[in-house]
Amino acid sequence: MTTQAAGRRKPPGLLKTSAAFFRVDVIEEFNYPLTLVMQLLGIIVPLIPFFFISELVGPNSRTVGGDYMTFVVIGLGMTAVLTGAMSGFGSSLQRAFQRGTMEVFLVEPVPWTTLPLAMNQWTLMFGALSGLLIFGVGSLLGATYDLAGIPLALLIAVLGMISSTAIGICSAAILLLTLKSAPLLRLYSFAASLLAGSIFSVEQLPTWAEYLSYLLPHTYVINATRTLLMDDPGSFVMEPSTAIIALIIFNVVFLFIGFYMFRRALELSRKMGTLGGY
Amino acid sequence: MTTVGERASIVVSDLVKVYDPSPAWMKFLVRSNLKHSVTAVGGISFEVQPGEICAVLGPNGAGKTTTFRCLVGLTTPTTGRCEVMGYDSESEAVSVRKEVGWMPAEERALLMRHSVDDNLRFHGQMQGMDKDALDRAIAETLELVGLDGWGSSTCFALSSGMKARLQLARALLHKPNVLILDEPTGAVDPVASHELVHLIRDIVSERRIAALISSHRLEEIETLHSRVLLLDGGRVRYDGNLTDLREKYAGPRMSIDFRNPQAAADGAQALKVAQIGVVSQTGDTGLVCELKPDVAHADVLRILEHQTEDIVALQESDTPLHSILANVYRETGEATS
Repeated sequence: MTTQAAGRRKPPGLLKTSAAFFRVDVIEEFNYPLTLVMQLLGIIVPLIPFFFISELVGPNSRTVGGDYMTFVVIGLGMTAVLTGAMSGFGSSLQRAFQRGTMEVFLVEPVPWTTLPLAMNQWTLMFGALSGLLIFGVGSLLGATYDLAGIPLALLIAVLGMISSTAIGICSAAILLLTLKSAPLLRLYSFAASLLAGSIFSVEQLPTWAEYLSYLLPHTYVINATRTLLMDDPGSFVMEPSTAIIALIIFNVVFLFIGFYMFRRALELSRKMGTLGGY
Repeated sequence: MTTVGERASIVVSDLVKVYDPSPAWMKFLVRSNLKHSVTAVGGISFEVQPGEICAVLGPNGAGKTTTFRCLVGLTTPTTGRCEVMGYDSESEAVSVRKEVGWMPAEERALLMRHSVDDNLRFHGQMQGMDKDALDRAIAETLELVGLDGWGSSTCFALSSGMKARLQLARALLHKPNVLILDEPTGAVDPVASHELVHLIRDIVSERRIAALISSHRLEEIETLHSRVLLLDGGRVRYDGNLTDLREKYAGPRMSIDFRNPQAAADGAQALKVAQIGVVSQTGDTGLVCELKPDVAHADVLRILEHQTEDIVALQESDTPLHSILANVYRETGEATS
């Protein structure tokens, strides 16, 4: 019997798989240049109203440390980074379902558990770039940063991205079964926008809501970054060391839950015969 | 992994797939119309050898796609086992998918905004091919399927026939030992479909690939000269070659032209009363008789002996494949019920 080349090759590792998906996404995105430009504008334009609000708030607001522009730019920048990490896999999955390419992806000899990380790369990178853009444009609008805090802020951002990716995997597990919508991600996004303090201080929340905010990785990332990059982060101070420990715990727990849910969703959708279909 | 010697490339043993309604907790997330369990595949077994094409035929819902999906591990069998090149499709799915070239029924399974070259490159990278080997394989495969010179064209701009060729190229790029083609010519015009089928036949023969093909186009199956696996209601109704199928299920066929419509109607009535098979009228004066296997042409003439002066022409012909399949489904259906 003739044995052809297929049997002798090793399947690609996570890096090669990620690179292949990243290339596909880049080609896809650059096929629609105007959409890409509008996406970037959609990141920058919402900053402008905050410039005027910061003029309104002035230097007297104690809760935001007297520099609302820097306060809000850090909040929005880190939220953009985390949102990219969180929504990447789910949106790639949904796009593949709708376009009919998912089944073909699944028939490739790649362990399915690598897909949550491999298919997330473009959105992860776009989220990181969005964050940088917000920080850059924010600087032009008057935000100032303590450069000494950048290395530790980057570490916190990376830890936050891992947590957010894990939450995105939990959400994608549900998407794998329903093939549409991502209720868990929406729920988390609602909670994060209300509780994590991206445009106002967590301290302004009712006490019970403040406690709830400690359950969200966003709260730690945003507020610890403010502590690191602002001369005066306001009345709510999140120590970077606390944030790092909390994020490590979140990462371990959420990654475990995320991959467990994803594996279970794969098993169930294989059993139901819906895997890859739409 | 089971040791692979001279054994079959594809082995399906007692495969059963029952689709159950979604678990109750899932109804909060998505509504399903499936209220009761449905048996898609009801215990089928077959093997496909290297270099053999096995055409899987059957009406919609016969269990073809479910069987294919079980083979590549996309669907879990309820009971039974699927093996590809000695690997178990459920527990060794990654190894199975390395051995399989897969061509899905939908042409939109291609990356439409990407070039022909990029579509193949992505698949090659997923297969673990290094850059040089991939460059060579892309050039060779495009030439093989007749798409050389089209590498830089964007996929959505291709005709349906070319998209089908690109899907075939993708399935062949990594030199698989097994091809699974789910309605490969579904969206293709008859001429392009004819060419594609010839191409598949030649490649399978040359590379000694084991191929499973599903199709609704019966003329393609005749062109392939392949083994035929007839599925209906999730069960195998026939497994063998077309010649045996014709011998077993195709009775003689006769076309009779009468002098006038009244004579044709009288003739049809006489033949129906005699229960010689299926009699259908063509035009005002013609009859086509698909005779039961035990009925001879002479029997028809004997039944019509009082009308011989009304008969203008009489011709024997081969039974079309669709009529044979209808006979198989009718007979095996009656046998099982």
